[in-house]
Amino acid sequence: MFVDSIGLILIQAGKTLADFLGMLKETFQALFRPPFRVGLIIQHIEFIANRSVGIIVFCVSFAAMVTIMESSYHMKLVLQEDSLVPGFAALLILRELGSVLAALLLTSKIGAGITAEIGTMTVTEQIDALKMLSINPVQYLVVPRLIACILSGLALAVISNLVCLISAMGISVANLGMSTGSFLLAMNRFVIFQDLVFAIIKGGVFGAVIPLIACYWGFRCTAGAQGVGQATTRSVVTASVAIIVLDFVMSWIFAHFY
Amino acid sequence: MFELELQQVSHQFSHDELLKNVSLQIRKGEKWVLIGPSGQGKTTLLKTLAGILAPTEGRVLIQGQNLLALRGEKRDQLQRKMGMLFQKNALFDSLTVADNVAFPLRETTRLPESEIQRRVQFYLNSVGLEHVLHNFPDEISGGMQKRLGIARALALEPEIIFYDDPTAGLDPITSRKIIELILDLQKKNNSTLVAITNDMKRAYQMADRIGFVLRGNFILTGTVEETRQHSDQRVQQFIRGALQGPLTAGVS
Repeated sequence: MFVDSIGLILIQAGKTLADFLGMLKETFQALFRPPFRVGLIIQHIEFIANRSVGIIVFCVSFAAMVTIMESSYHMKLVLQEDSLVPGFAALLILRELGSVLAALLLTSKIGAGITAEIGTMTVTEQIDALKMLSINPVQYLVVPRLIACILSGLALAVISNLVCLISAMGISVANLGMSTGSFLLAMNRFVIFQDLVFAIIKGGVFGAVIPLIACYWGFRCTAGAQGVGQATTRSVVTASVAIIVLDFVMSWIFAHFY
Repeated sequence: MFELELQQVSHQFSHDELLKNVSLQIRKGEKWVLIGPSGQGKTTLLKTLAGILAPTEGRVLIQGQNLLALRGEKRDQLQRKMGMLFQKNALFDSLTVADNVAFPLRETTRLPESEIQRRVQFYLNSVGLEHVLHNFPDEISGGMQKRLGIARALALEPEIIFYDDPTAGLDPITSRKIIELILDLQKKNNSTLVAITNDMKRAYQMADRIGFVLRGNFILTGTVEETRQHSDQRVQQFIRGALQGPLTAGVS
């Protein structure tokens, strides 16, 4: 019985993955096929980046401050001094916190919105209406969101990391009695330019994952308010898990370049 | 050559057989109406005819060409010869009334904006919506949404047009007006028409020929008169709306 259930789950997961890869292939082909909807891409960038930047800045600032305070507490506990906090915290921020946290926030704000929008279009037959007008739904709905989300992901990764570092510096000056100069000096001992480059790459990859997963679940939305709700939940959960797994994979790959 | 043809079409979804070995031929300019109990395959049949759903088995020919076997511009050209009013209207809710009609023209033709605006005005006038150009679909009534769906379906001046329950949820007077509008526009463009309705008065008003869809099977009942006299008791029960009969046998 248990083995049967596991088998069914694996078969279903395999089908879903094959289905997703099919959409991925179609998206990749559509990326290079005209018409290129520049207006739509700009519209989506405005929606994704501009409307998310506030919440991302707000949340990552607090996350960075907590990181500094916790690092200081634990370092003092073990080493009886916390002068290395800026270096360790800056590394943690650039390698993980800045990009991952921004991506997870983007998933819940933008990913959920994309799934709900496309899911509603699916159940109200708007996707069928596009097909009837010989407009490829993947090309019209997925491609502009994908490009916009990648570009926004890159930009938001830079903003998020910078805001994190500034907040970390602020709390270090205010709470740990450090000066701006000593913070930057300590940070400079650990952080290299490559860290920022890898953080931006992560931002771009996460930016690609969010709309692809969100659109996938939107297209597979079933009828009714419950259907849209389920699709949105699946989208946020899948994208969050994918971001965390991809973060590990990329961190492992990037480790080979140091 | 037939305008639309299904050759032994079956459609299976999961373990359900939604269409079972359906064959039919529709000539140019004909008006067909599909009737039958809800959830028995009418919309699946209509979407299969329109090329939106690919059958599991069989062939769908549109003007003699297998739409699903075509690719690229050839497929797009053939697809653009067809228009459809969907059951839930499928209006683009982020676009205004005028932009809903202009959308297919902007996306699939190279017409200048002035010509697009002329066509938008013409079709919105035809359906009596010239006064709500800048409203959004959710700001207009159900009947108006239906008429907007018709205007959008007609904007590309299709040769074949599908209507999925064009009078669903409308009052009898608006229903009648919508059917008169559909027939006027069909006559004007000499288009081929396939519609779904469960309102027998409207079915008789529209149809040259009527088909009955039951559990994925298609029964051609013939002209309006032939349908009225049809020997199949299931058809008779349905068109009369009788509570007792083969369709409800075993249902408490």
